[in-house]
Amino acid sequence: MLDFENILVLTQKELYDARRNRWFMLYAVAFTGLALGLAYMALSGAGNYGLAGFGRTSASLINLVLLIVPLMGLTLGALSLAGEREKGTLMYLMAQPISQAELLLGKFVGLSLALIAALGIGFGLTAFAIALNGGSAEIDTYLILMGFAVVLAVASLSLGFLISAAVQRGSTAIGLALFLWLLLVFFGDLGLMGTALVLQLDVQQLFLAALVNPLQLFKIAAISGIRSNLEVLGPAGVYAFRTYGSALLPLLLGLLLLWVIIPLLLATYLFKKRGVL
Amino acid sequence: MIEVAHLTKRFGRLRAVDDLSFNVEEGQAVAFWGANGAGKTTVIRCLLNLIPYEGDITVSGIDVRRNGKQVRQTVGFVPQELNFHDDLTIAETMTFYARLKKIETEHDFTPLLDRLDLSQHVAKPISDLSGGMKQRLALALALQADPPLLVLDEPTVNLDIRSRDTFIQLLLELKHAGKTMVFSSHRLEEVTALADRILLLEAGKLVVDSPPDQLEQQLGWESTLHLYLARTAIQPALDALQQHGLPVAMNGRGVRVQVAPGKKGQVLQMLCEAGVQVDDFTVE
Amino acid sequence: MVKTVLGKLLLGLLLVVLVFVGFSTALAQDEGSAVTVSAENLPQAIADAKPGDAIEVTGGIFTGHLDIDKPVTLIGIDWPVIDGENNGTVVNLTAPGITMRGFIIRNSGQVLDQENSGIAIQAADITIENNRFENTLFGVYAKNGHNAVIRNNVITSKDLDLPRRGDPIRIWYSQDVLIEGNEITKGRDVVLWYSERVTVRDNEVSDGRYGLHFMYCDDATIEYNTLLDNSVGAFFMYSRRVTVQHNTIAGNRGPSGYGVGMKDMDDAIIRENIFLDNRVGVHLDTSPREVDSFGRYDGNVFAYNDIGVGMMPSVRRNEFSNNSFVDNEEQVAVGGGGQLKGNIWSVNGQGNYWSDYAGYDADDDGTGDLVYKSDRLFENLMQREPSLRLFLYSPATNAIDFSAKAFPIVRPQPKVEDEFPLMTPQIPTEAPQMPQATGETWFIFAVVFTAMALALVLLPRLTRKRYIFPQPETQA
Repeated sequence: MLDFENILVLTQKELYDARRNRWFMLYAVAFTGLALGLAYMALSGAGNYGLAGFGRTSASLINLVLLIVPLMGLTLGALSLAGEREKGTLMYLMAQPISQAELLLGKFVGLSLALIAALGIGFGLTAFAIALNGGSAEIDTYLILMGFAVVLAVASLSLGFLISAAVQRGSTAIGLALFLWLLLVFFGDLGLMGTALVLQLDVQQLFLAALVNPLQLFKIAAISGIRSNLEVLGPAGVYAFRTYGSALLPLLLGLLLLWVIIPLLLATYLFKKRGVL
Repeated sequence: MIEVAHLTKRFGRLRAVDDLSFNVEEGQAVAFWGANGAGKTTVIRCLLNLIPYEGDITVSGIDVRRNGKQVRQTVGFVPQELNFHDDLTIAETMTFYARLKKIETEHDFTPLLDRLDLSQHVAKPISDLSGGMKQRLALALALQADPPLLVLDEPTVNLDIRSRDTFIQLLLELKHAGKTMVFSSHRLEEVTALADRILLLEAGKLVVDSPPDQLEQQLGWESTLHLYLARTAIQPALDALQQHGLPVAMNGRGVRVQVAPGKKGQVLQMLCEAGVQVDDFTVE
Repeated sequence: MVKTVLGKLLLGLLLVVLVFVGFSTALAQDEGSAVTVSAENLPQAIADAKPGDAIEVTGGIFTGHLDIDKPVTLIGIDWPVIDGENNGTVVNLTAPGITMRGFIIRNSGQVLDQENSGIAIQAADITIENNRFENTLFGVYAKNGHNAVIRNNVITSKDLDLPRRGDPIRIWYSQDVLIEGNEITKGRDVVLWYSERVTVRDNEVSDGRYGLHFMYCDDATIEYNTLLDNSVGAFFMYSRRVTVQHNTIAGNRGPSGYGVGMKDMDDAIIRENIFLDNRVGVHLDTSPREVDSFGRYDGNVFAYNDIGVGMMPSVRRNEFSNNSFVDNEEQVAVGGGGQLKGNIWSVNGQGNYWSDYAGYDADDDGTGDLVYKSDRLFENLMQREPSLRLFLYSPATNAIDFSAKAFPIVRPQPKVEDEFPLMTPQIPTEAPQMPQATGETWFIFAVVFTAMALALVLLPRLTRKRYIFPQPETQA
């Protein structure tokens, strides 16, 4: 049975730690800075044509989120257990009357909230910049973009936790996290593109294969939220929109949530199995 | 209070603990004694279910593997490596762990901290504490919820000689107050001072289980006596002791001699008779 | 005494007023052409009217169908309503020279193939001005309505799925029509067939299927319009000498959505328009068609579209100069891949501005010293294998482009080469401004979210006086 009071205490501790965590601060500042920079560039350019350019801003933001958010989640997650394990604090923590699942969940919720806060500051200040430029576009598409960015962050965090539960040393965990990041951000897509060209995958196969990558899930969801259709993604996008229609967004969200839940469950299992060493 | 049956812990091919069985009665103080790497720390970790193990352990009749959380509720633990979160103060650290232990709010930690001489330091971050202060903090944390069972892993390893004595004194008081105590140490004097029973571990196996006063006899163990002598006295000392058939060797500033249990005084007697003046000595 | 004098004065004054009023009323009746009725009495008033009469309609609701078969002018005051009871066409205009002004026309039938309309124009020289169309399937439908003027009307269709809606304006075999200043939203198409010398000016068409659709309409002029958030901004087919200028065409992103689509269009001139945030800014298919004709694109801005200008591979003889291509996901695309060699990307030393131009202007003449080449590898791959568009925005695509820059051996043939790329974008000044939303909700969101996020990180405290600790004596 999970003790939510314990989880709450651990969550508070994690949030408290986050603001002293150099990685976290670096990411929060970098994300906010880059988001603002991109928004400023898109907006100042678009301002010349009387369009506050949210379409352009959102495209830039999608790109930024794809690049940075998985890095944030993966590395912070990877450091979570492995870092404390290496420092030796994990041993003492687990000697307290808490269960492995409680510790994991407490840390996970705490770091998730910290990530949400980092994204919230980034998106919040960017919205401020957009507001100063006259708003344009409905804010709901922006909220959809942000919502999916949050889910992507939490999914990456969950993957990071899996790494963290599996390895002993913080440096190994960070190495694995960076490798996984490269895989998700670059090599996965490159490999799939190559496969599509060589094997002449049809659009259905290509679309389904792309759905394996949580980053693609986020991207497709964000675009279908911002645009009313997926025409911009070519034949595969049109196929997806025709086949799934209004079920597409819930479907993508569901798959992304699986990326949150499954690695976390695996991480709990591994953590129980390997103990605090 | 603690029942351990056929406890085995493997790290790869290495058996850190090998088929270990023992019981600890309520109110007893039991020491694991042995060299580094004998498996003392591993046993303690298994007792708290910090690492998976083979065999069975129950504490107060509760299966440790299945209800580790419940067991840990009744245990005050002092780890060997004192790794707390460096950026928290003593008060914050105490609060954090107290909440995990569900100690009711408004509980007053002043007497505990007074007793451990930490009251002046509550607002200091852990990173500013000396080794001794950290050790006392670890004990304070272990005693927070006034648990019936204390598990201490090398509790004096971080202390200098002077604070070691006060610390042992503290532990003795706790023992007299009725706490059940399980601890590990590689220092014999500590073990003999505190423990009702000594479990000697070697390469993960239980070698001896005895009360401290019978230990040396049970072991037939020899002590090594280091005698510090003036340079000119070294050769006469060697001669005198060799005459009595004792294994003796030169050793830097004096001689080293192996002595059977309970015979250390005789060595000094012999040297005295031989007219050799002993400056100082240590026992190993 | 005093009283009687005052009484006489008042009486005199009253007389003067009465005479004046009576005289002016008589004068109006003498001109014989203006009557004032309420909407309920419209059919009778029309029946009674002589050609050339004006009828003022002061409010009221007329329910039923109105047929006007003589040249009268109907002037609505206080928005009189003509309500078709959701059946058939509401108003039929069958005589030339009719003017209708200031009415609310509502509730036509909804049978698409009977073209149930708000107003059906079936004669020449008819003016439809300042009316509001509510819940009418089609708005204004002109058949053989030469010289019609459709001006300053507000038109929507019925609240149906897009394909089941009607056309806010449909023009059929009507020459010299003027469509001006109308505000059209949520209809299907504003569509014109077989009509020459049409002028479409200053309208705002939004949230429809085809903002404008021209079939076989030579010599049309389309200017100063705002075409917003339709599936397709404007689509032109089989027409000659069309001029499209000073329009703002934005957010047209429907399935196969174009800002402007051109099919079989000869001698078209497209100048100083703004194409913003469309799926494709301008799409060209067999335009121009005739060997001796051209297409001219000058001074337009293509910004933030997925594709700035998209062409089918066989398209030739278009000239592009002084256009600004700003941050389109693809500046120029060729359907099915290939190059656009038969088109001209600079005229008389005037090329175009390309936001992805990496060259420089050492001699400071406003023109880049290196040739602009559009040769992104990922674009090339997409054109060979369109399904790869799925990976758009993915950082992997940037990696592909980067590798092509680093290793020229994998760099594709450029689609476009502009020998005189401009260094600064040219911004059309006459096209209408985009509507500006207020930033209020964005402000609220920004403040609330930033505050919440900061609180989340900054507020958690571990000691909140939960337990009692000794107070260390402060050192003096």
